[in-house]
Amino acid sequence: MSNAQLEIQVIASLVAIACAIPGTFLVLRKMAMISDAISHSILPGIVIGFFITQDLNSPLLILLAAITGIITVVLVEYIQKTGLVKEDTAIGLVFPVLFSIGVIMIAKNANDVHLDVDAVLLGELAFTPFDRLIISGADVGPKSMWIIGSILIITIGLLIAFFKELKVSTFDAGLSASLGFSPAVIHYGLMTVSSVTTVGAFDAVGAILVVALIIAPAATAYLLTNNLKRMLLYAICFGVFSAISGYWLAHVLDASISGSITTMLGLLFFMVYLFAPNKGVIAVMYREKQQRTEVSLLTFLLHLKNHTEESERHVNHLNEHINWQKVRSKTVLDLALKNNMIQFDKNIVSLTEKGDEFTSKAIDYIITNKDAQIEHMKDDFFLFRG
Amino acid sequence: MEQKIAVKVDDLTVAYNYKPVLWDIDLEIPEGVLMAIVGPNGAGKSTLIKSILGILKPIAGSVSIYDKPYDKQRSLVAYVPQKGSVDWDFPTTALDVVMMGTYGSLGWIKRPGQKEKKAALEALEKVGMLPFKNRQISQLSGGQQQRIFLARALVQNASIYFMDEPFQGVDATTEIAIINILKELRKAGKTVIVVHHDLQTVPEYFDWVTFLNVKKIATGPVKDIFNDDNLTKTYGINYKVSIQE
Ligand SMILES: Nc1ncnc2c1ncn2[C@@H]1O[C@H](COP(=O)(O)OP(=O)(O)O)[C@@H](O)[C@H]1O
Ligand SMILES: [Mg+2]
Repeated sequence: MSNAQLEIQVIASLVAIACAIPGTFLVLRKMAMISDAISHSILPGIVIGFFITQDLNSPLLILLAAITGIITVVLVEYIQKTGLVKEDTAIGLVFPVLFSIGVIMIAKNANDVHLDVDAVLLGELAFTPFDRLIISGADVGPKSMWIIGSILIITIGLLIAFFKELKVSTFDAGLSASLGFSPAVIHYGLMTVSSVTTVGAFDAVGAILVVALIIAPAATAYLLTNNLKRMLLYAICFGVFSAISGYWLAHVLDASISGSITTMLGLLFFMVYLFAPNKGVIAVMYREKQQRTEVSLLTFLLHLKNHTEESERHVNHLNEHINWQKVRSKTVLDLALKNNMIQFDKNIVSLTEKGDEFTSKAIDYIITNKDAQIEHMKDDFFLFRG
Repeated sequence: MEQKIAVKVDDLTVAYNYKPVLWDIDLEIPEGVLMAIVGPNGAGKSTLIKSILGILKPIAGSVSIYDKPYDKQRSLVAYVPQKGSVDWDFPTTALDVVMMGTYGSLGWIKRPGQKEKKAALEALEKVGMLPFKNRQISQLSGGQQQRIFLARALVQNASIYFMDEPFQGVDATTEIAIINILKELRKAGKTVIVVHHDLQTVPEYFDWVTFLNVKKIATGPVKDIFNDDNLTKTYGINYKVSIQE
């Protein structure tokens, strides 16, 4: 692995971490789309900054572009506040306008600006090692690495300092306000960090990958944990993993690095979406099937409890009476037998003592919905969870 | 004996998008009462509480807590928002939510430590939720979620408690558990203000009541003003409550 290859992977990983942190909070605040808006609408800020500084990596340019990001957020909120349109519509109104202003500015000045729309949208990670930062004659590494590294350090510092404020205002803005942690201040702080990260990263990885790196790792992590700190950690790991594996995918396929990283992010999300232990599609389907069986079981037990006459409890009659298909009936019978809830006596089914007790308790629970006493039942049966 | 005024609201008008939902509210809540705020859906009950707590900015009027603006008196006030106002799928545990009640006394940046954790565990114990302390909040029943919110308010150790529909979606056992804790708070000299929906239980649970429907209809002791006349004025229809003697 050459030095340049290593540098590209380091830069991509730093960008991934810097995006995953604000991304986690944006996803939890259901504001993921705002990052899309920011990443596009900063274009005019970048162009103006470029006219002034003639340097895509200048801090002034980053500042100007980040301000454009904040203006986007303010405009979106202003339009939304009129109550005439919803938030997604407001986002859809604002960012194409700002983005096209940027595109027109580039087109009008195409001669003196070496900046094109493709580069802004897709970035070019492969070129990042060529733009070096030279301090008093010494080469200290690629410029992008220093820029995104500095942004990342500030982001981590802010995260550690304001973790509790971010958490409470994201979970419960009303409480946060009543405690004196202004949700507006925290909101704009988060938006500023998101804007600065987006601007700092776009030159290296492009606007599209920035959006993907903000949303996808956090959305993936959300499916896997019920702990905020762990969600942050997982999001960071997924981001870095996609960055590095995406780089090698691009290497093998000789394709765009940004494109490959985005593909890895998508694949990772899809796998987790399917296979996550609790919130994954397959787990949910399995749980629903279990619940259906358990409802059937309860229906069946209740039938036995309510009917003393033997004709109603004869095996041959049960199918007709409860009106299930054969397979269903067999699953339910097996389940009841396995749990010692029923017994057979010459093809007549009856409840055991345990079955009788369980049925009474379960019905009682369903009717009164008291939660305190039923805790141990929940562990045995999906039916009573949630 | 002159009773102290815990909360005073003067000429308060609040609007969303320039459409007023509370008109010219005057209200004095004496210290040590257990007060119900009643009124139909959309009457502005939640809005009133949010404006008192500085969460919403009124377009006119003022609020004071023990004669000072709310900003200066934050530490005296605890708040239980409506249960539906938060996302219960948020990745956090019961204990962690209760700990949030300690954030106000910590101020910016400082993190909760052992002392805060201990207080949170005690509050969980008080509402009977200690066994569930590590449970993810989406795995709790509606009643348990309300208890967690109550514990979070208790941990704030305030003088005035504002609770927005704490009985919403809870079973009878939880309702009794909650009202007993509220009555204990009153006994300890605290002022408790509760948005309440079940008119039948007002006389049994509360000693003070405010009728609200965009305007303030009436406020005072339950035994003096909780009558068909005020109910009709508030709810619009001809109201008859059968109060069990
Ligand atoms: N964020 C909001 N934006 C616009 N209107 C709102 C908002 N919140 C509440 N309202 C409106 O204000 C009125 C009072 O609401 P609220 O205080 O929640 O009533 P209550 O708590 O008594 O049911 C209602 O008509 C409601 O539709
Ligand atoms: Mg309300």
